[in-house]
Amino acid sequence: MNGGMQSAADPILSVRGLFKHFGGIKAANGVELAVGRHEIAGLIGPNGCGKSTLFSLVSGMVMPDKGEIRFDGRAVAGMSAHRIARLGLARTFQIPALFDNMTVTDNLLAAAAEGHWQGAYERAAETLSLLKLDHVADNRASDLSGGQQKLLEFGRAVMRQASLILLDEVTAGVHPNIRKIILEAIARLREQGVSFLVIEHDMEMVRNVCDRIIVMDSGRVVTSGSFEDIVRNSEVMQTYLGRPQ
Amino acid sequence: MALLPTNPQWRGLVLLAIIIVVLGVLPWTVNNYWLRIATGALMWAGLACSWNMLGGYAGYINFGQSAFFGLGAYVTAFLMGDPFGLPFSATIPAGMVVTALFAVIIGAPTLRLRGAYFAIATWAFAEVLIQFASAMDFTGGIGGIGLPPYLNERFFYFAMFGTAALAYFLTWALFERSRFGLKVKALRDHEPAAEAMGINTALVKLQTFVLSAVTASVFGAIFAYWVTFINPKSVFGGDITDQMVVMVLLGGLGTLWGPAIGGVGLFVVNRLIWMYWGDTAFYIAILGTAIVLVVLFLPNGIAGLFARRKNDALDKVMDKLVGTGAGGHP
Repeated sequence: MNGGMQSAADPILSVRGLFKHFGGIKAANGVELAVGRHEIAGLIGPNGCGKSTLFSLVSGMVMPDKGEIRFDGRAVAGMSAHRIARLGLARTFQIPALFDNMTVTDNLLAAAAEGHWQGAYERAAETLSLLKLDHVADNRASDLSGGQQKLLEFGRAVMRQASLILLDEVTAGVHPNIRKIILEAIARLREQGVSFLVIEHDMEMVRNVCDRIIVMDSGRVVTSGSFEDIVRNSEVMQTYLGRPQ
Repeated sequence: MALLPTNPQWRGLVLLAIIIVVLGVLPWTVNNYWLRIATGALMWAGLACSWNMLGGYAGYINFGQSAFFGLGAYVTAFLMGDPFGLPFSATIPAGMVVTALFAVIIGAPTLRLRGAYFAIATWAFAEVLIQFASAMDFTGGIGGIGLPPYLNERFFYFAMFGTAALAYFLTWALFERSRFGLKVKALRDHEPAAEAMGINTALVKLQTFVLSAVTASVFGAIFAYWVTFINPKSVFGGDITDQMVVMVLLGGLGTLWGPAIGGVGLFVVNRLIWMYWGDTAFYIAILGTAIVLVVLFLPNGIAGLFARRKNDALDKVMDKLVGTGAGGHP
């Protein structure tokens, strides 16, 4: 077990020496990690440790102060969010960021409007079916339940035909049936070659879905490894779960 | 028995055809006074449509739209006068180009702002143009500038009608039926998420801003030629933008037909009040009351009343009253 760089030789995402400070808050304080191709990596850590900020830095929503981010072999640090997205990186947000006044179908089509328009209507129909949202296809996104909103946001990431998807607590607070739908979709997409970096607090889900777990604390990666490695690490357990060994 | 087809698409097409026919024969059925009111109503419907492109579909509240209306008017007045003496038709594209350039120059920095900051920046731009036009000799200064008269009411009616029809067709094609419209509405609802979907929001906003500005400039050009005299306040004045905003809010923000409903409705009410009371101060009171009522009871504007909603109680009532067949349609 070592830092977050432990991964395949040819990672789809690698982050080195990444810093982002907001005033006195060190949201990213020298982050080092990598995600392998076709890998599902889990990103865990206590609230406020910098996980979501890392997503924003990688996806171009927030500009880093310093450091290197390579996605699919290209340096993307400082690149605008839409350019990074067009390279094949998709993300979801911790609080669903839907296009509220648009229908469910239009939300999916909007996700494909830039760069993936060919066959968008067919893919939207497939995605609606995959995520079991067919019956609300013409509803406004704001009219969906919380769980359905999570599904729709995940569906938009699917519509991007991305090679790496960043999922920010995509199953948090959803009904077990919806969680099952999302997990099945993740498994299916992985078979098609999609990689994932998943922020998750539900350790059961992390254990069942993730190939490898990366642990963050205070703006940096403290360790990474298999689920078994992580739960045997007394320092991690104390930091993350607050449980003395 | 239903008066109109029950299929919503066919019903819409039939209604549109009826409106076009009525508007097409109107100049031969009313006197010049009412024709001028109809011409003005079409202009305001078109101007409201131009404002709605950015304000309604993209969610950027522009309080400087009169700047572009005025630019179109001044370019036409300037080029039709000495020493150029260009024909009216040649001044319109010139006004569109000048307006597009201004829109790019102003839009590129200001569209980085949001909310009140963007509104104030655009308002300031219109105010700058008022001061500029008031101070310069070539614009006629504060006294304004005259145009060669062309006394053909039907020409101006059809010029406004054609331009308004084109503006609504463009809005329908670009904002309601295309990928571009999806991008615009996506950035309105959640700009960071739209960026995360690969949408270059800065570019899409600028394109929308330019389209909105150029549309207003064409109406400004026709208006200048129609009224034969303009001054800074009459074409750059903030009250012009204010009216567009209120018309769109009343009719329905971000809807296709809302601006037409609000534009025609408010302008006709304005003229009727002026006709019977001769004082438009009363109009301001009615306007204020209408805004309060709409905000309280019709947050989606008048057009929101006609939005298709499953099990909508209004549909059922309308179905019983006039047999539109609307009830029960998804």
